[in-house]
Amino acid sequence: MAMLQVDSINVFYGSIHAIKDVSFTVEKGEIVTLIGANGAGKSTILKTVSGLLRSRGGAIQFHDSPISAAAPHKIVSMGLAHVPEGRHVFAQMTVEENLEMGAYTRPQGEIAPGLERVYAQFPRLKERRKQVSGTLSGGEQQMLAMGRALMSQPALLMLDEPSMGLAPLMVEQIFDIVKELHKDGVTVLLVEQNAQMALSVADRGYVLETGKIVLTGNGKELLEDDAVKKAYLGG
Amino acid sequence: MLLLSQIINGLQLGSIYALVALGYSMVYGIIMLLNFAHGDIIMVGGYVAMLTIAAGVHPLLAVVLAVLACVLLGVVIDKVAYAPLRSSPRISLLITAIGVSFLLENLAQNIWGANARPFPNSAIIKGATLNIGGVHIGTTAIATIVVSILSMVVLTFLVQKTKRGKAMRAVSEDMGTAQLMGINVNSTITFTFAVGSALAGIGSILYCCTYPQVSPTMGSMLGLKAFVAAVLGGIGSIPGAMVGGFAIGMAEVLVRAVGLSDWTDGVVFAILIVVLLFRPTGLMGRPMTEKV
Repeated sequence: MAMLQVDSINVFYGSIHAIKDVSFTVEKGEIVTLIGANGAGKSTILKTVSGLLRSRGGAIQFHDSPISAAAPHKIVSMGLAHVPEGRHVFAQMTVEENLEMGAYTRPQGEIAPGLERVYAQFPRLKERRKQVSGTLSGGEQQMLAMGRALMSQPALLMLDEPSMGLAPLMVEQIFDIVKELHKDGVTVLLVEQNAQMALSVADRGYVLETGKIVLTGNGKELLEDDAVKKAYLGG
Repeated sequence: MLLLSQIINGLQLGSIYALVALGYSMVYGIIMLLNFAHGDIIMVGGYVAMLTIAAGVHPLLAVVLAVLACVLLGVVIDKVAYAPLRSSPRISLLITAIGVSFLLENLAQNIWGANARPFPNSAIIKGATLNIGGVHIGTTAIATIVVSILSMVVLTFLVQKTKRGKAMRAVSEDMGTAQLMGINVNSTITFTFAVGSALAGIGSILYCCTYPQVSPTMGSMLGLKAFVAAVLGGIGSIPGAMVGGFAIGMAEVLVRAVGLSDWTDGVVFAILIVVLLFRPTGLMGRPMTEKV
């Protein structure tokens, strides 16, 4: 069975039906991307998977356990990490404290080796580890948010718009890191408006339109799909 | 010399305000609630200490029991009155807090009577005056200042260095993201109420040793002034609450020292108005930004 299995979830904001019968799967070792325009419901789906929002009906299974009614902090400890849109680093805490928070569900003894791993992956964070993270640049904050999520030793990493607001060079760098993580065995569920970038690294993709999945295929197929080209890749 | 002893008085009063202000600020920092029942927790602490000592319990044990009673009360108030309103508008929470405050004051009046009763302060701190280089300092003043500062040092360590404390700061900064770290937000909020109420309990004993009587409404004025201290320091800021507490204590003592005793409360609330008009984030508060 798939690592993450989402079966016909429906999410409402008040009376607004934001997610309509969405189903998808993520297999172990894959990079899967959800693409779609602003407001299509991509972030809502991730928030529902990580337990911040609730689905009406439907089911979400992670590693064969139902998680659609579990508290968010329980879901994290099962090995599912979520890097939220806009990064949301704890701005008043230092870089290292942020990383420690990422390891909140892990035993104390794992923090030091975890920090070492993250610092090896993101040398920039090591240079700034005593700095208050609100003073970091956008790209550095994205690295911190990703490093923080990796501190929980996740089996599945969900990234929400990691390229948002970043300079093109930094976007390249972030995607290189995603590829590296993937090579190291982390499964990735990636939400992006930058469809070109996302599809070029993804094994499979789902195209979302106003709360519904309208198209699915592997990364290459979607990159070459006429409708996708027209809607998301600028012709 | 007179100035020095006035400064000691200011520190004594200010350290009590600081302890109480910390409870306001920590709770506000984490759930954006002005916990108006906080002052009444102090009152309950005073009664518990007085009644247990009167029942023959060893004074030190009585103090511990009083602090524990405050912790328990703070946590129960959160669970019963505030937790069900977590996703309600903040105004509902505020009105509930005022309701809890009235409830506690009136319950106390029903159970223990409306009259002020003497507090056995000498059982806890032996009253004496030390003459240090010509300055007369009471043992109560010294004990109050020392205990308060120790409590604040412990609190600072707890918040800055421990896992629980860091989780508290994380929840206070961004509740949703804290959940994504695997932090149990509800237990962190409970912990915050417990710590804030413990400080109120300590403050309660120190206050009762300084002004040795207890009454059902004793917490309301003390609570309000500590609230002013928290606002002055920057509500939500822990160092701010400490600074604000000492500042308000000093201000009161100075106003009294220049012979305007009748004006002390007026001056304290004038400070509140001035802060709210010209610097609503207080001395050390963060700029107020609405989270989206």
